[in-house]
Amino acid sequence: MAKVCWYFHLHQPFRLAAQDVFSLGKNHEYFSADNAVIFQKVVKKSYLPMLTLLLELCQAHPQFVCALSLTGVFLEQASEYAPEVLVLLQQLVATGQVELLAETYHHTLASLYSTQEFNVQVHHHLQLLDQLFAYTPTVFRNTELIYQNEIGSMVAQLGFIGLLTEAVPRYLDGREKTRLYRSVGDEALPLLLKQAELSDDIAFRFSDKQWSQYPLTAQTYLEWLDNYRDDELINLFMDFETFGEHQWADTGIFSFFQSLNEMLIANKAAQLVTPSMVLTPLTKKQRCDLPVYDVPEPISWADVDRDITAWIENSMQQDALKQLYALEKIITTLPRSSSAKGSVTAKHIELLSLWRNLQTSDHFYYMCTKWAADGDVHAYFSPYQDPYEAYRNFCIALRDLSDRVKQ
Amino acid sequence: MPQQPSVFMIGWEYPPHNSGGLGVACQGMTEALASAGHHINFTLPYQFAGSVGHMSVHASPDPTVRKSQAQSPPWNAYSASSSIQQVSLRAAFVSGVDTLPQADLEHHVESYAQRVQKIAHSQSFDVIHAHDWLSFPAAMAVHADTGKPLVTHIHSTEYDRIPGGNGSSYIMQAEQRGMQAATHVIAVSEYTRQILIKQYGINPTKISVVHNGIAPHSTQVAQAQFAGRKPMVAFMGRITGQKGVHQFLEVAKRVTTILPEALFVIAGNGDLYHNVLLHNAAAGLSAHVLFAGFVRDRQKQQLLSRADVFIMPSLSEPFGLVALEAAQHNTPVIISKNSGVAEVLPSATQLDYWDTDKMSEAVLSLLKDREAAQLQIASQQRDLSHVTWQNSIEKLGSVYKRALLGTHG
Repeated sequence: MAKVCWYFHLHQPFRLAAQDVFSLGKNHEYFSADNAVIFQKVVKKSYLPMLTLLLELCQAHPQFVCALSLTGVFLEQASEYAPEVLVLLQQLVATGQVELLAETYHHTLASLYSTQEFNVQVHHHLQLLDQLFAYTPTVFRNTELIYQNEIGSMVAQLGFIGLLTEAVPRYLDGREKTRLYRSVGDEALPLLLKQAELSDDIAFRFSDKQWSQYPLTAQTYLEWLDNYRDDELINLFMDFETFGEHQWADTGIFSFFQSLNEMLIANKAAQLVTPSMVLTPLTKKQRCDLPVYDVPEPISWADVDRDITAWIENSMQQDALKQLYALEKIITTLPRSSSAKGSVTAKHIELLSLWRNLQTSDHFYYMCTKWAADGDVHAYFSPYQDPYEAYRNFCIALRDLSDRVKQ
Repeated sequence: MPQQPSVFMIGWEYPPHNSGGLGVACQGMTEALASAGHHINFTLPYQFAGSVGHMSVHASPDPTVRKSQAQSPPWNAYSASSSIQQVSLRAAFVSGVDTLPQADLEHHVESYAQRVQKIAHSQSFDVIHAHDWLSFPAAMAVHADTGKPLVTHIHSTEYDRIPGGNGSSYIMQAEQRGMQAATHVIAVSEYTRQILIKQYGINPTKISVVHNGIAPHSTQVAQAQFAGRKPMVAFMGRITGQKGVHQFLEVAKRVTTILPEALFVIAGNGDLYHNVLLHNAAAGLSAHVLFAGFVRDRQKQQLLSRADVFIMPSLSEPFGLVALEAAQHNTPVIISKNSGVAEVLPSATQLDYWDTDKMSEAVLSLLKDREAAQLQIASQQRDLSHVTWQNSIEKLGSVYKRALLGTHG
């Protein structure tokens, strides 16, 4: 049987409050009080039960391992709204069986707009993981697994030993997704590709009564995994909120996960791994010998086309992002102009934080006007009645911030 | 005071359930008429929740319509907020007869006509006064029953609402029949009078112009302070082709290229709303043009008073009350030459709606040259001193007299 790599993504954005043109310039609150309510709801349904289950698996089985990515904005909200979640995460990391991945602190699209800003946000995320978990990740996952060749170079230059992304047929060109690849170019950054079918069987189809495989049992799923050769690597990447939030507890998702892992652990031929367990042993020659995954245009793990049109397609998304990143130069050089000593002022810290929280990719996802197969998924996640309202509301906050920065 | 003619007035909307100019005009007009000694019976096609002391309101909801819907006009002819009923009228005005639920439209108008006929039976009056096409079938029925003179009042035509003459032929026919049947026709402006002559073939001698007045606004409105001291340019109106909102975006693009801190605000809603948002983004204006949604009351006043320039770039505007309101709030106004309000606000900057070059220059010079802006504001205030409902109903009184003489031969 192949190696199996679990990776779960934990993220909650700071959603915007309803903005008002008539409050412009009055230092009004950008972010919604609903964020606390939503967070606590997901804590009950998903974070607490699933983290508890992971901890039990870790304690009962030294062979159980998995990888997590925790966005900075998720961790901020956990600290503020549900410290018990943070405690569980610290206990999990302390077992040594859970690998944390690096990413942009604010879950942004900076990799597509500004290398400098991207580097800063990755650095901030590293600092936060060090501070909360005394942990230094070695493997990187970009927002929504967005990847293209240039991002491979950027991530390699930051010293990471590998990166997680999506296996997209148009670039994989018929090759297996269950083996390691590397980025183009001299850096030869190893890439782990998501096994979309098996991942989505759990993340999206598990509770779908129209699905031919419904109801899915751990035994059946194990048989599917067993079809793969020993030298293959099955990357099961998904939102952490799959467990309990996208798939509610009454679908049996928790017991499915528990049984599946117990069966995997009992099966001597199976092995659970984390990204760094796979990548750390590689020699430079082995890395260079990996087949190349050449991705000239950005891909992601979202929507049917696995591209970036969920965030950047229509003019509203494009211009909102363009205008937001247009503030970079002025906002990042503020201290020198506003403070003679060159120290970072409190006001500057606040403006940078607002700017970066506005960069969170979810704001642009809400503006998506694709309404085919993906529309339902977008509507599920959006707090707005429609994408136009998401744009209208965002622009007011953007203008307010812009005026404050240029004051 | 000599006995003034008693008026049987057929309305369609009235504050607080009004969506725009027609309701406001009916309020100003009837209040002034009542002060001048006219007795007024006023009909409405829905359950009226307001309280009115100056006239007898005959609220007559459609018995076949659910109660919740009967609380407001069956369609808000002049608005585009989001209720279902309004969508149907918007569809009517935009798509014409091909796609509109025309049976619905005809049903509402005809059913109202029958109800109004019954009300008229129990009232005595000298003259019938009907506002816009939705009330014309009712007015014609009462006119036929009673033989009393009929005055039809045109506040807006299908030709204005759907630029290019592609409006609903059903509505245009209803407008034309109402005017033909009328003893006398009132146009809300000379601009509209010319449309009635040229597009509807109405006899020029039968049409009088009575401009709307405007109620003096209370000086109590708190000076709105928002968006710091950024130069602000405002648009307020339905977001439709008629109102020239794309021209407003073009002006925003030109002005912010030269004056990047300028903020443009669009207040209103309408069938082009989504289109305009996409266009705004495609023009790179996401941080320059903001959308306030549909504003009323305090926010409306705040925006009109905070704006440094107000633009009404309509392709065709029978009157344009909002331009007067902006002038009342001491905001320099730029208006389309294709507007009735230009006739009573000569001090406003008047330009062709399509000439966005000149419009941008005008905005820039008003923003930069505060002295010139102050001069325009003062002249606008002098214009406003003549635009009273008192003056309007003097003309209206002559129309009534003429109509009464006309029927008596």
